[in-house]
Order: sequence, then C-alpha cells, then structure tokens
Amino acid sequence: MNTPDRKLSPAEIESFGAELDALRARIVADLGEKDAKYIKNIVRTVRYTEVAGRGLLYAGMFPPAFVLGSVLLGFSKIVENMELGHNVMHAQYDWMNDPELNGQTYEWDTSCTSDNWRKTHNYEHHTYTNVMGKDHDIGYGVLRLYPEQKWEPRFLANPVMALILMTFFQHLLALQSLELERIVGAKSKEQRKTELARVKKDIKPIWKKMRKQLFKDYVFFPALAGPFFPIVFAGNVAANLMRNLWSSAVIYCGHFTEDAEVFPIESLENETRGHWYLRQMRGSSNFTGTKLMHIMSGNLSHQIEHHLFPDIPGRRYAEMSVEVRRICEKYGQHYNSAPMAKQFLGVWKRIFRGALPNKPTRFKAAPAANVERAEELVAA
Amino acid sequence: MSSPVTRPLRFLRRTLGPLVEPAVFDFWSRELGSTASRSRIQARVVAKRAESARAVTLELQPNRRFEGFLPGQHVNITVEIDGRRVTRSYSLTGVPREDDRLSLTVQQVEGGLVSGHLYTDCRVGDVVELGAAFGEMTLPEILPFKLLLLAAGSGVTPLMSLVRELAQRGMPVDTTLVYWARHRADLCFVPELKALAAREPKFNLRFALTGDAVTGTDELRGRPSRELLADVAPDLSERAVYACGPAGFVAEVELLARTQARSFQSEAFTPPVFAPVESQSEVTLMLAKSNRVVRVASGQPLLAALEAQGIKPPSGCRMGICNTCACGKRDGLTRNLKNGGENAEPESNLRICISSAQSDLTLDL
Repeated sequence: MNTPDRKLSPAEIESFGAELDALRARIVADLGEKDAKYIKNIVRTVRYTEVAGRGLLYAGMFPPAFVLGSVLLGFSKIVENMELGHNVMHAQYDWMNDPELNGQTYEWDTSCTSDNWRKTHNYEHHTYTNVMGKDHDIGYGVLRLYPEQKWEPRFLANPVMALILMTFFQHLLALQSLELERIVGAKSKEQRKTELARVKKDIKPIWKKMRKQLFKDYVFFPALAGPFFPIVFAGNVAANLMRNLWSSAVIYCGHFTEDAEVFPIESLENETRGHWYLRQMRGSSNFTGTKLMHIMSGNLSHQIEHHLFPDIPGRRYAEMSVEVRRICEKYGQHYNSAPMAKQFLGVWKRIFRGALPNKPTRFKAAPAANVERAEELVAA
Repeated sequence: MSSPVTRPLRFLRRTLGPLVEPAVFDFWSRELGSTASRSRIQARVVAKRAESARAVTLELQPNRRFEGFLPGQHVNITVEIDGRRVTRSYSLTGVPREDDRLSLTVQQVEGGLVSGHLYTDCRVGDVVELGAAFGEMTLPEILPFKLLLLAAGSGVTPLMSLVRELAQRGMPVDTTLVYWARHRADLCFVPELKALAAREPKFNLRFALTGDAVTGTDELRGRPSRELLADVAPDLSERAVYACGPAGFVAEVELLARTQARSFQSEAFTPPVFAPVESQSEVTLMLAKSNRVVRVASGQPLLAALEAQGIKPPSGCRMGICNTCACGKRDGLTRNLKNGGENAEPESNLRICISSAQSDLTLDL
C-alpha cells in the first residue's frame, strides 16, 4: 500500500480542481483536425479488420486462416467497443458535428444497448464513481471487491463469478441495467413481484439488441459459409471471447485495483468540483503498456484521466497524464499507475479476499466534502 | 434507366441494402470514392471557376438523396474545417437540370469561415454535405405582373437563379434587374447578364456602383434612393419586387418600394448578430420539437431554467459530463458556464445543464 494521500484544506481542493480545469480548457482549445483524422482512422481500422477477419474465416478449414481470421475479428470488435464506441458515446467527438460519431446516437457492436450504457455508465458510473450504493459498477451487483461492501454467502463464489463475468462480458454487461440481484435480494413476496415486473419490462430492448448480435455472429455470417458453418461459428465464438476477456480485464484494472478506493454516500453531500475530481482520481487506476495496448483499451489505460475528463478524446489522455501526475505530486495525492499485469494481479487479490467475510471496515477515504469530519474519523 | 447493367445492381441494392447499417454502407461508399449514401445528401465538387474578383462558382453533383429545388431557393452546405463540420446556407444560382447538377456562387467575406473555405481551400473532387432545398422567394407559374429584381452584393445569387429561370421560360414578362456592388470588379455573372440583356428586349439590366465612377450606359451610381428607383422603374406600381442583399439594404429598399409596388418579397442574408443580452434579462427559447415558446432568465443554466417552467428534458449528472441532456441548438448565442466560452454556431449536442442562453435560442426539444 502506498503512502496515504495528504489531507487537503478546502482551499487546496479548490486550487487542485482549478488546475485540472485549466488543463482541460487547454486541451479543448486545441482539439481539431489531428483528432478528427485519428478517430476516422480508428473507424477505418475497425471496418477493414472486420472485413479481413470475417473474410479469412471463410477460408477457416485452413488453420492459419482460422486463427488469423478470429484474431482480426476479435481485434476489430475490441477497437470498436473500446476506442470507438465507448469513447464516441462519451461525446468525446461531438465537437466534430459528425452524425456518425454522435455521442447520443452511436450504436456499438455489442449486446449492451447504447441507451442503457449511456445511463448506467456515462451518467451513473461517471457521476457517482466508486460511491457505495450509487455506482453499480462496484462489482456489478455480483462481485464483492471492497471490504466496505457487506458480505453475503453468495460472495463465496466471487472468483468463479468473476471468471463467468469475464467470459460472458458482453451479455452480462447488457443485463447490468436490470440489476437482477435485486430479485435475489428481495425482502418480501410483493417486492420480488415488483422487481420481476420491472425486469420483464426493461429486458425487451436488451433482448432485441442481444438477439441481433447473436443472429449476426452466430447465424448470419456462419450460414453464408454453407457447409463450413461450424468453422465460421467457432471463429465468431473465439473473437467474441477474446473481446470479452480483454475488455473486462481492462475494466477490472480501472477501478478494482489494490489502491483504488470506495466512498460512502455522504461524500456526495455538498461535493464541489474539486472534491469530485479528487474522488474520480482516488477511485481510478491506470496501467502502463505499449501504444497498441493503449489503443486496444480505448485509452482506458489512462482511467484516471478518463474519469477526470470523460468527454475529451481518449488519444489526448497520454499527454494529459504528464500534467495530471505533476498536479497529483504537488498536492501529495497518490497517482495509481502500474504495469497491467501488476494491476490485474491486485484485482484478483481483491476478488479472492472479497469472497470471505472480514471485520467491519471504515471507509479509508474521507467523505470528500467534509474535511473536518474526515479528521475525526482518522483520529478515532 | 434499367439497362442490363443497372438492373442487377438495383436488385442487389434492394435485397442486401437493408442488411447493411447506414453508417457501414456510407463508410464503404466513401472508401470507394462514391458519394452514395443511405440517408445523407452528399455532393461532389465537379467544377470551380472565378465569377468575379472576389467570388467563385462551384458546381456540385449531388447523390440520389437530393430531391431537387426551385429557382430562388437555398441549401444548407456542410464542410469540414479543422476537423469540425460547419454549416451555412447558400442560394443555388442555376436552374434545375436533367443531371441534377447544382451551382452556387460564393463571395469571399472578411473573416468568413465557410466562405473562406469554399473560396480558397475547396477543390474539385471534394465532397460536401447538403440539406434539402428551402426558401420562399420563388416565381409563381403564372406571372401576372412585370418584375423588378433588386440585388446587392452576393444577394444577386437567388435572383440570378430567377433570371435564368425567366430566360429559360422565354422572358414571359418585362423584367428589370438592378444589381448593386461597391466596385465593378465585384460584379458576378456580368457577361451572361449582358448577353441576355442584348438578346431579350424584355430584360433590362442596370449595374449600380457605390464605389466606382460610372462608365457604361447600363451603369448607375449610388445607393438605393427614390430618384434611382423612379429612374429604373417609373412603372413601379405595376411591378412585383424581389429584393435580396444585406439586411440594411433590404430594409432600405423595402421602405422605398413596398407601398408602391404590386408586391414585395425579400430575403436578407446577413447572418443575424446575436446581441448578448444584459445579464438578468429575459430571453425567448423556441422549443422546436414540442413547438413551445418559453421565456427564461438569461445567464442561468438552461436545464434548471426549463425545469423551473415545468419542462423536464432528459438529464443526468447536471455537471456537464454524462451528455444525457445534450440537445440540438439551431441558432442563438450560448455560454458554457464551465469555461465561460460563448458559441453562436448551431450545435448538434448542446449540454443544457452547463449552458446558459445569452440571446434568444431555438432548441431541438
């Protein structure tokens, strides 16, 4: 565990926020043709690798073509989901006024409907990042990662559940907005009934999108191969699996690493912009890696910068991270960054630890908005 | 059109078309160098030529999505400048053609973003996006009155389209065009207009210059005045007047001609200047989708202001990060409350939770 963050006075928190605002303004003023070209090249990469991947799968009885085809298709799906879809839906490229890259209308190549995603992710997760009871991304309702989460017997299956979640990530993510665990946790018969009715209604658009994705990958394209249906089918399974494992690993590394923190709901009271920045930073973690890894992670390798500036094009996070790190050092705040393997290992430690009950734990982080109360908590 | 080649293509389009997402279709169409699109009007610049010392004419070949226009109408044209797509309205200067080809004339404007781009940077082969044609300043099928066309500067463009239509219809009524410009070198379409005047006895042409001395018999000097109008159109009460030019010019000729003329139609092309209102004053919000008009205080976040009026647009974080509340802004001046920046451009995604109105606005709500 790293040295604890320095306690900041309200004035310091304000100037901390002001410095980040200034950084943001500088980058926003510089957005232009380079960024537009970049995202158009990303679109091109996605489209060409998809065609190449699907094309190669039709020659899939020839093993190298099968492997290369699956990998290219998986790569295409990864880049589409991460660097293109996720980032475009954050309105990172809305300034281009391009209807094909519009944050509110873009629909991505995965089971989760873009509309649900915009609600659970853009709004809930990004506004209430790592706030217990508000941010459903803390374990997605099925994992226990933080000692502050209440233990239940079902969490004994934590490691198995984490693996299942990774394997079927696209479909389970699609179901996230349903919060199915609320049916399990219902206290009375009536409550269970209302929960079931809610799920039954909300599942309609999800099932529609899921069906479309399943049909496209597992019926339509394999059927075009005629007798080689099983080969193309298998290639699509492999590509989707590759995408599921990679994107879930990236996302696990963003908020579930060893040094990431969660916050009590009171931290939202009177939260200023500076406090909000501080919470985003403490709840997020970066990983280092090659340029290809950054692109394939949708630049969520710079999760800290992404959470501070969710609507700034991801390609800018690398240059912003230099400044963010400097600001963190200046204010004595820990900047959570490590190689991906190390961060991922830390995540699995949390997953195993979370399976077993522990003594009640106080929130490590002070309710951001109440510095004096934080001092009391620390003293206690 | 159904030659042996196009028939199978049409069959493919009908059967496979719906399976391909519009964005995917448009992508491959662009990659293959085509302007075909599933939903958008794209047009290729096929010719560019100087029309005056400060104006160029662009010829555009639109795709099948363009549904035609009437002479005198405009289109919105969208170009990409420094990664951003920017839209402006331009009058079409030609008449409808068999091959759908369009032309528009762009005058260079000091500091003009789109005009500067079209004048200088735009090349033959470039692709621009168009909107559907619109505008009311068109000629009726039956022309009961003589015409007086008053143009100033690039206000000549829609009137040129009308003149060309009249020429095509064999100049059915006596028509006079008075065309103002500061300098002779700024005048557009001069050879064509002079040739038409020489050929058509019913077409009278006068160039009015405000900055150069008069040399030709078809030239006048000075701004619009009662005397000038009496000189070019002593029979004003028998004429229908069409006027187009900067807002000041249009107001001026309206004052001179409206009461006497048979009818008076005009269009002013000067982009409205969104005068920032005083702080603490009220502005009018036009909610275009729900067809409502509300008055709110300027300077306060639009989302909160609308909610205070009982209107509940979708919203989320209320701090400008989640984009849930973003809606289109058609016109008006807004301020970003997070960084103080002001924007007078139309926007597709205005985050109303962190934007305030600095003038009257039209929103897609």
